[in-house]
Amino acid sequence: MSEREPAGTAPGGTAAGPGRVLVAVYAVFALAAGARAAVQLATRFSEAPVAYLLSALAAAVYVVATVGLARGGRTGRRTALGAIAVELAGVLVVGTLSLADPAAFPDETVWSAFGRGYGFVPLVLPVLGLLWLRRRTPASGGMPGSGG
Amino acid sequence: MGAMNDVLVWSATAVAVAVALAGLASTLARRRIGLVHLAGAAVLEVLLVVQAVVAGVALAGGERPPETATFLGYLGGVVLLPVAGVLWSRTEPSRWAGTVLAVASLVTAVMVWRLVQLWEAPGV
Repeated sequence: MSEREPAGTAPGGTAAGPGRVLVAVYAVFALAAGARAAVQLATRFSEAPVAYLLSALAAAVYVVATVGLARGGRTGRRTALGAIAVELAGVLVVGTLSLADPAAFPDETVWSAFGRGYGFVPLVLPVLGLLWLRRRTPASGGMPGSGG
Repeated sequence: MGAMNDVLVWSATAVAVAVALAGLASTLARRRIGLVHLAGAAVLEVLLVVQAVVAGVALAGGERPPETATFLGYLGGVVLLPVAGVLWSRTEPSRWAGTVLAVASLVTAVMVWRLVQLWEAPGV
């Protein structure tokens, strides 16, 4: 009870409290997806250009989401919201396609099989991100987070 | 095991898991991280640096994992991770600092084992 509640950097800050954990996980994925995409594109781009470009797209999305969440504020939240929406769509589409047509995805990407190679974190992460953003949006129709 | 030393890998794993548990415990207890967390992260970092040097020596000696670039990427990343985790959690004034450190520690442990996999992977 005596602990200081995270105030955040600004009203609607998204990088404090649990948000800091979220930013950390996003940063890890930005790095993991980015490094994987870089290696794939650099060493065997011709094997599966579409899959590897999707890998690079995933990396970019994670980077944008990380920056948006870390910066917070109105712009940061909007940026993060856009990136996370793309992320959710991406993991669902790529996840489905990679199971339906494995030949198109000969090499693992972060979103393959709904992120199975990463403990399905890529599937859960955008949902948590959206919930967190909703909680951190200053009341204008939404309810202030009252726990739960 | 070549570049990946058994003792170092297992010690790093054990310390990483311990730091993660300590971090989660402080979150559950609604407390900030303390000296125990920092000391644990420091031990982990030392183990990782020693492991990186061992791997560097093996690489310099001409041994090569099949995916050398990926291996080097993981090796560099794993050394930076506990440092990043500590920095990012120390600026967090709430109980969530422990969870941040726990995430960094667990990812470190996973990356160490990815390094083992990458080193032992059969050449293509």
